[in-house]
Amino acid sequence: MTGFLKTLLVQVLAVSLLSLGSPLVVQAEVIGTLAGLESAQRDNDLARVNRALATAEAREQLHALGVDQAQVEARLARLTDSELRTLADRIDQAPAAGADILAVIGVVFVVLLILEAVGVIDVFKKFP
Amino acid sequence: MGALRLLAPASAAAACIGLLALGGCSLNPPRFTPAETDGLPAEVELTQVPFFPQKQYQCGPAALATVLRSAGAAGSPDELVGEVYLPGRKGSLQVELVAAARSRDRLVYPISQDLPALMRQVAAGTPVLVMQNLGVKLIPIWHYAVVVGYDLEAGTLVLRSGTTQRRVMGMRRFMSTWNRAERWALVVLEPRKLPAGAQLDRYVAAAAGLEEVGRLDAAEQAYGRAREEWPDSVWPQLGLANLSYRRGDRQAAEGGYLAALALDPRNVVAHNNLAEILGDRGCVSQARAHAERATALAKGTSLEAAVAATARHVAGATAGDSGVSCPP
Repeated sequence: MTGFLKTLLVQVLAVSLLSLGSPLVVQAEVIGTLAGLESAQRDNDLARVNRALATAEAREQLHALGVDQAQVEARLARLTDSELRTLADRIDQAPAAGADILAVIGVVFVVLLILEAVGVIDVFKKFP
Repeated sequence: MGALRLLAPASAAAACIGLLALGGCSLNPPRFTPAETDGLPAEVELTQVPFFPQKQYQCGPAALATVLRSAGAAGSPDELVGEVYLPGRKGSLQVELVAAARSRDRLVYPISQDLPALMRQVAAGTPVLVMQNLGVKLIPIWHYAVVVGYDLEAGTLVLRSGTTQRRVMGMRRFMSTWNRAERWALVVLEPRKLPAGAQLDRYVAAAAGLEEVGRLDAAEQAYGRAREEWPDSVWPQLGLANLSYRRGDRQAAEGGYLAALALDPRNVVAHNNLAEILGDRGCVSQARAHAERATALAKGTSLEAAVAATARHVAGATAGDSGVSCPP
């Protein structure tokens, strides 16, 4: 590239960067379908995770592990949409709750899944 | 910290299971539950799917051309190289493949991330674009290929892959390469076509992807198909109303948002967008009522800021003259 072109490129980039720095004007406009859909899905996924966390057995497990429920909820709120979706899906695939030993294993498993997803523990990391 | 110590043995156990699973690659075909393969033919191969042998590192353009051509769209690997190939990285990014398909009015539908779901697409006549990691986690070798067939009995898949027209790969071997690429897989469809086992939210999101990039006619076809399939859902109706708005037909959009609210009175987007339109045409009290409803419904969601902007906007709107006819 010639020197002139390089200079021109730098100038164009500089100007475009400057315009990025101007205060963002939030313009009222209609909301697109995708944004609406993503928001609704996130609410739905969060509700699925919270349902799993709300059972007495799950609370007991959290308490036994010495984890603060409020801290878990705050961290859940910080998960990205896709992380939350993956977590909710994995919870749904966990052993179903029943009135036997499997139910206890299921609850422990679900609690571990949630704690792992929010970064309180690191159980399910596999070796490369 | 007590929690971490307590969990250490569990961690070791999980690692062993992981290693065992890795070491357990046998030639036995994987077993599926009867439900997973219910209704699937034992063997399928889509021989009519074209083959474009890749040049150099350009598996992205070749694989994309394969699925585009199958969906009736134009596009040769050579044309696609400029759009989806990054010479510096000797590869293509997934988002670019998606964008290139959308720019050709094709619907991009991510499938469920399991083998039975993948085989269902193939059985329905649709080849599946997949990403694989042919290396290991630490030294990845990313690769795009197209699954065009399977054989349940033999436990094999048939792929258009690289320079091989008919690469037969064991399902277990495929799964390990696919797992290392986070099981990325999608189908590319004509916008009026539903994928096998179509799910409402995914299909509408795929249609909304077309809306986002301004392919409004293709989006309209997809929303229309979705409305036929799921007539009780608010989303296809909302999508169609948004298309009307984007085309500048505010009257049709207003009717569309009202129809959407009839399907789901709690839809934030329909309330918000209706408030915008009504505010602009002087129906101020109705606009404010919808904005208030949207504000209450959007509390704590990702739409909160956008809805607040609408509320401010309609708060400053001025009432039209008495000749304006407003909805009740």
